[in-house]
Amino acid sequence: MRPPTSLTLRLTLLFSTVATVVLLAFGWIIERSIEEHFAMQDIKELKVIAQAVEQSLSTLQPKHDLKRVKQRFDDILVGHHGPLLYISDASGKLLYSSPGPDLSLMPLPAPDQLSQGDIQQWNDSKHNYRVLFQQVAGKTNGPYTVIVAIAIDFHLHFLKNFHYTLWLMVICGIIIMGLMSWIAVRQGHRPLHRIVEQISQISANELNTRIDADTVPAELTELAQSFNDLLQRMEEAFTRLSNFSADIAHELRTPVTNLMTQTQVSLSQARDANEYQEILYSNMEEYERMAQMIGDMLFLAKADNDLNPLNAETIDLKSELSNLFDYYEAWAEECHVSLTLKGDAHVQGDRLMLRRALSNLLSNAVRHSPADNKVAVTLSHVDSDVLIVVQNPGTPIPAEHLPKLFDRFYRTDPSRQRSGEGAGLGLAIVKSIVEAHDGTIVANSDVDGTKFRITLPGFVNLANRK
Amino acid sequence: MKLLIVEDEVKTGEYLKQGLSEAGFVVDLSHNGLDGYHLAMTERYDLLILDVMLPDVDGWQILKSLREADKTVPVLFLTARDSIDDRVKGLELGADDYLVKPFVFAELLARVRTLLRRSASPVAELSLSIADLELDLARHRASRGGKRIHLTAKEFSLLELLVRRQGEVLPRSLIASQVWDMNFDSDTNVIDVAIRRLRGKIDDNFDLKLIQTVRGMGYMIDTPDGNS
Repeated sequence: MRPPTSLTLRLTLLFSTVATVVLLAFGWIIERSIEEHFAMQDIKELKVIAQAVEQSLSTLQPKHDLKRVKQRFDDILVGHHGPLLYISDASGKLLYSSPGPDLSLMPLPAPDQLSQGDIQQWNDSKHNYRVLFQQVAGKTNGPYTVIVAIAIDFHLHFLKNFHYTLWLMVICGIIIMGLMSWIAVRQGHRPLHRIVEQISQISANELNTRIDADTVPAELTELAQSFNDLLQRMEEAFTRLSNFSADIAHELRTPVTNLMTQTQVSLSQARDANEYQEILYSNMEEYERMAQMIGDMLFLAKADNDLNPLNAETIDLKSELSNLFDYYEAWAEECHVSLTLKGDAHVQGDRLMLRRALSNLLSNAVRHSPADNKVAVTLSHVDSDVLIVVQNPGTPIPAEHLPKLFDRFYRTDPSRQRSGEGAGLGLAIVKSIVEAHDGTIVANSDVDGTKFRITLPGFVNLANRK
Repeated sequence: MKLLIVEDEVKTGEYLKQGLSEAGFVVDLSHNGLDGYHLAMTERYDLLILDVMLPDVDGWQILKSLREADKTVPVLFLTARDSIDDRVKGLELGADDYLVKPFVFAELLARVRTLLRRSASPVAELSLSIADLELDLARHRASRGGKRIHLTAKEFSLLELLVRRQGEVLPRSLIASQVWDMNFDSDTNVIDVAIRRLRGKIDDNFDLKLIQTVRGMGYMIDTPDGNS
């Protein structure tokens, strides 16, 4: 795919187009109005002459002196810019004709239109004229045909020159506008380039850098803000990942140290077969713990990358929990803890994964429950969601520990690290499984005990989606 | 019973060979895919144990070629890659079982025995017994020395599993998966508790203790002379 045209080019083209249209319209209007102005001027002059002629004709005696008549019309024409005048009576006999081009050669408009004061443009081989035709009723020998014309060459000449100048200006204007808008757009993009420069300088070690949202224009504040949010999330994820790696290293170092020390000590002198066997058994336990931790970490790593495919099916949580109770019953009895289940619910989900999550929660609850108490699991519906609550009595967990319970390798009591309760990944796995099912899990704890509340999108919800 | 192991990791291969030989099998070991394939084509084996990731011809390729040549020998895959897709691919190609590294050796042994038994003709049994312990499978009843022993359903399943595979060490993970259908490692000692309770009913009042703990591996039921 071709990359989209550059913003600078696009905006420049847009501005130039707008400028062109505006300037063209402007030029056109100016030209038209000047032309109009000249025409009005000419017409006014023609009408003044025609009026004078009409008045003169109305007082014309039947027996007129041709010479005096001519003098009278000559007088009318004085003071105007060389107009031409032609008058003939009804019989077509010439009454008066000013010197110059012969106006009688002009094509006469139809007689019925003549009284309207028809105005036309006319040109002989040399000059352009604006011409007024009029029929005037006289005292005698009327109606007279009156033709008045004035030369408009100088107007046309002026207009032609003006036309060239105007369009030259318009073209210059367009070019200048194009250049200016290109510069303006470049200038306008400067803050963007500045941000890009800032962003490009952020390396993995400087994820705490933020773009100062106050120094960018209002339009870019949102961009800067969302970029800062992205950085924030990346920084958190990055930190979590680094901590996770550090935790892994730490968690693996302990068993490896045990194994190394034990092996070195046992090799330092000859021992009998039974002793070697003991050592191997002890090593075996460490290996198993490490293998399980690796398996758990792999599961979490895959969950982080959405690599654990969900085989969604309808799961009867009640029967699933009953099976788990069966499994844990004997062990719970040994711990003097009883298990109770209330409610009924179905969800859509991956059976093995949900079983694993519930199993982790149950074993966690039984382990932290004091003797002669009960772990209660309650299934219920909240709106379209399914709520699973696993509750066990026990000493309240301080509030600051609660959100961290689901962190990998997190233990409320660091001293209990290796008391055989797994690697501290159980609840992290629960959380990742619940989240893979679009659910949420929260923990709260008070004097009544500790509660884990899982909310999963309900069966009804999914059925409706079909 | 003759087995072929194709495993490029030398140390793993040697230990597997040693372990399986000590368990009474005749074991051939090949360190690359091509040799393994030729052995599998020319020799007669009861079971193949194939590593998926091999430097030349991978395990899947070997299996595919074998099945195309109409070799029906059971195949168990070993792999460090644990994804459902891989598992499905392997099983679709006609693998009989799939084990993810690292695994408990007892688990491998148990699965190998299962596969070998599966290829033998299955017999629908009505009762099982070891020493003076008798299981009536139809009525879900257990008795020892003629005396009825009351067991819960799960205890009976557990005992049935142990007796069916008497003389075999069953790892905790296998027991959890076969009896309770829990296919993941638990960080609790649930299985130990269950065995302890079963022992209380089966062994405590008798001189001859049948259920034995194999340290570091799991549990088995056997008579002391080992002739099961």
